[in-house]
Amino acid sequence: MKKRIFAVLMLVTLLTGVFVGCGDKSSEKDSTANKPTTGEEQKDTKKVFPAGKLVIYGYGQPQYLQQYFDAWLEKNRDIAPEVSIEIVQTEGASDSREKITMTYASGANEDLPDALYIDPVNLLDLGQGELLIDVADFVTPLKDKLVDGATNDATVGDKIYALPESVRPQVLFYNEKLFKEYDIDPSRMSTIEGYIEVGRELKEKSNGKVYLSYIDPGSKTWRYYGRRGLLPQANAKIWGEDGEVVIDTDSGAKLAFDALDIMYSEGLLLKTAIFEPALYDAVKDGQIATFYIGAFWDEFLRKNVTETAGDWKVLSAPAFENVGVAGAPVSSYFAIVNKPGGKYAELCQKLWYDFHFDAQAREDWVNAMEEQNAPYANPITKELLADDFWKEPSKFYGGQSFREIEGSALENGATNLVVTPQDVEADNIISIELEKYVAGDQTMDEAIKNMGKNLRNKIGKAELIK
Amino acid sequence: MTKKKLFSALVYIILGIIVFFCLCPIIWMCIISLKGPNESISGFNSLWISNPTLQNFKNVFNIIPVGTNLYNSFFTTILGTITTLFFCSLAGFAFAKYDFPGKRFLFYFVIATMLIPPEVGAVPLFIIMRKVRLINSLWSLIIPRIATAVGIFYMRQYIVDVPTEIMEASRIDGCGDFAIYSKIIVPIIKPALASWAALTIIARWNDFFWPLLYLRSTPKYTLMVSISLLPVSDGLSTPWPVIMAGTTFAIIPIIVVYLILQRFQKAGLSTGAVKG
Amino acid sequence: MGKVLEKTKIRLAGIKMTIIQTLKKYKYPYLFILPFFLLFSVFQLFPMLWTVVISFSKWKGIGKPKSVGLDNYKLLFKDYMFWDAISNTLIYWVTGVIFILLLSIIIAAFLNYNRLKGRSFFKTVTFLPNVCAAIAMGIIFSMLFDENVGLVNEFLGLFGIESIGWLTSTKMSKIPVIILNIWRNTPWFTVIVLSGLLNIPREYYEAATVDGANVFQQFFRITLPSLYNILFFCFITLTVDSWKIFNEPFILKGPGTSNVSLFQYMYDTGFNLFKMGYASAIGCMLTFILLIVSLIQFRIMRKQDNI
Repeated sequence: MKKRIFAVLMLVTLLTGVFVGCGDKSSEKDSTANKPTTGEEQKDTKKVFPAGKLVIYGYGQPQYLQQYFDAWLEKNRDIAPEVSIEIVQTEGASDSREKITMTYASGANEDLPDALYIDPVNLLDLGQGELLIDVADFVTPLKDKLVDGATNDATVGDKIYALPESVRPQVLFYNEKLFKEYDIDPSRMSTIEGYIEVGRELKEKSNGKVYLSYIDPGSKTWRYYGRRGLLPQANAKIWGEDGEVVIDTDSGAKLAFDALDIMYSEGLLLKTAIFEPALYDAVKDGQIATFYIGAFWDEFLRKNVTETAGDWKVLSAPAFENVGVAGAPVSSYFAIVNKPGGKYAELCQKLWYDFHFDAQAREDWVNAMEEQNAPYANPITKELLADDFWKEPSKFYGGQSFREIEGSALENGATNLVVTPQDVEADNIISIELEKYVAGDQTMDEAIKNMGKNLRNKIGKAELIK
Repeated sequence: MTKKKLFSALVYIILGIIVFFCLCPIIWMCIISLKGPNESISGFNSLWISNPTLQNFKNVFNIIPVGTNLYNSFFTTILGTITTLFFCSLAGFAFAKYDFPGKRFLFYFVIATMLIPPEVGAVPLFIIMRKVRLINSLWSLIIPRIATAVGIFYMRQYIVDVPTEIMEASRIDGCGDFAIYSKIIVPIIKPALASWAALTIIARWNDFFWPLLYLRSTPKYTLMVSISLLPVSDGLSTPWPVIMAGTTFAIIPIIVVYLILQRFQKAGLSTGAVKG
Repeated sequence: MGKVLEKTKIRLAGIKMTIIQTLKKYKYPYLFILPFFLLFSVFQLFPMLWTVVISFSKWKGIGKPKSVGLDNYKLLFKDYMFWDAISNTLIYWVTGVIFILLLSIIIAAFLNYNRLKGRSFFKTVTFLPNVCAAIAMGIIFSMLFDENVGLVNEFLGLFGIESIGWLTSTKMSKIPVIILNIWRNTPWFTVIVLSGLLNIPREYYEAATVDGANVFQQFFRITLPSLYNILFFCFITLTVDSWKIFNEPFILKGPGTSNVSLFQYMYDTGFNLFKMGYASAIGCMLTFILLIVSLIQFRIMRKQDNI
């Protein structure tokens, strides 16, 4: 009898636990405020925002942004006296998107974040699904103050679904020490053809020890060499005018893939996965001479191969001789969630505005980042970029100013490949063929053919928005 | 006599080899977590530590709120284990020693449910969790797994081998069903309980798929989730020794708990006597 | 007419009485197994049914699902990635069952050796691989098996064997996954088998020794038969786990679809490509395959009549 009661009690406690122990959610207690959620410019009115917590989803190392926001809150106590900002770290843009979609699908609106950092592809889906606020009215008047094309990826027709956060170009990192050692003139790398020549010479002069660069056996080769690098530079197309698959017939695509093929088949690229220790060790050993990749790589070099500080320099990415544009910039965005009952849409806009237009605050933050060896990107506002702060030399690059090069490399950028909703899957299919190529299972021609074939089988046609 | 000695020696040698293979990767991981950022991680070089440092661990503590996450992990693990042990052994007992209509069918049904990977229904599951208001709560990791099919299956197989005479005897003595369970069965199946507890604790501790799905803010994350967010991706450049330090750290508590359970298991051996 | 109605009413009442009586008589066993069935219906059954429904539609997670009938399944059968995933998982299953079961029986038998000194030490150490988080160990293994600088290749190099591209070649990429799978999961099953071994009374062995049986005979005549139930459990669990394998191939990803597992393919499709409908279809196929495989196993085991 006693044991029975005990069992029942256990069950009851557990069940009550269900309803009691679940109470802590991260949302505000007073979620009844109904602020208009359209993007209206409110630069000058001193509106006081209600108390609560502003939640932002970010990936990468968002905790550093948290420092900026905390400092901002300190300075802006008059309009946001009891607001706190929390950045939640997610695994990546897809993860943020997935979290938001799930939350939305389950109707848990208070659990939605107020804003998130996101990439163009996921942005498109979320925007079309009406999960993001259209900020066209807010950002269009500011467009000419921003670097060119900053809002392109977020623009669908006459709607703009997110605010540009960073636009980072493709650049060429090269190990100057190695170049001096083998007596090669780095300016020869201004063209892709010259780049390949340099690779051959490095290999010969070092008896095969030094590689021009690396190649990733996984999905990163397509991502960094293909989609963001060689293909946009060659004016290549994956999809045609009506969304049909043209990657296997397009001459630009062929030009791009062939360039990669030459480099790899002649043994100029070391086959090692990017971001992994083996690559960093190869760099420390002086086996890798250059990196043709996005500007974000700067942070990885500084963090992981600190002993090579001072050996590196940066140039604009090489361009194909006949085309003349250097790799496409990668944009990331700050989107405001269309949160029913949300009260911080305008606050998010203000946050964004200050982050990009308040020079002093930005510089203070960047200095703090430098001290902590933390990542940061160049500003996207022309005004800020013109400031000397963004031309300061960096120790890691032997006195050269990385920031300055990043700024100037934007000028000759190629246009990004058209973004379609089918891109995530297309990337997957294309990458698989490239991976098989790198693994030695097929030639580049076969890979291109298979890309075309599988894209047609699995996707068929892409929907071109615009 | 020598035959026995030879056999003994063989056993030790083979166990030694097995131990070597078990420990190698783990020790390597610990070695790397103690290396400075400038040291090599490739080839045989990776085995020497020129300047052992605890800086990596400090870095990990800076990046993630270790204390809170640790508490969350402990909470879900311990509570989850206790509940599952109780309910699974109870159900296993029912299937093993009782004869009730539909028993066979229901048992097959239980096993059949093992075939449905719960991850398949992640999206609807999330919606249900939301309705029950368990999102971002640690209870979402405990409640659905109070009674698992695997656990019931295992307990049942084990309890089947317990002689029924003891049960009959105590029933004649007037014990109620629940009393039979708690006074007779539980002491006998202590080794099974201890083993299953060890396995469950480890599974819950290492779990990161569900916590990643249900938990939405860093203070609620369990340790594993935080650690799994450390490695490298497009925007994250945590140096490898730091990641290794994180994973090493995540393993220490569980080894301690396991050692404690080991002693319990040992004690249980003598009391769980089943006289043939 | 009235008579038929009367009869049915009486019949129904009778059935109701039997049900109530049954419930009363067997209330304890039913009560004991109730929590499981309750939780199962809420947290597994309903999502599963929902998944089946979704598998007949196209859905991106945002907005409304669009019904497409059998399209997803038709696409699935033509999908080379699907078939690659199945064949990979098949290989994982077979190698897993053979190696893990064998190894765990052997190790458990050794651990049970009655003259063993330092038993707890061995038990703890051999269990460690399962204790460590899969992610961590996956990263370690990927570093160990690295083509250029991994310890495995360096070690093989000592014997003059050329560097093998473990994770960079489509042919070899399954091997590190299999090794990781065995390394991590054998300890789990060893513990289970060991708990079964502990249940066998020492007197059996002593009696057998007196009768002149040697170690091997004792093993095959006493140990194995007594372990039958536990081994059956291991076999089924191992099968289900192998078909659901995810962590190992996920971390040790090889080029293309060379070592992707079925469950991984489903996860990728659903959570990275956001093709929920298609992913649900894959999930249903996975469940279907598991059902068939398990049914076959049960048929075989049933002949031994032990359930």
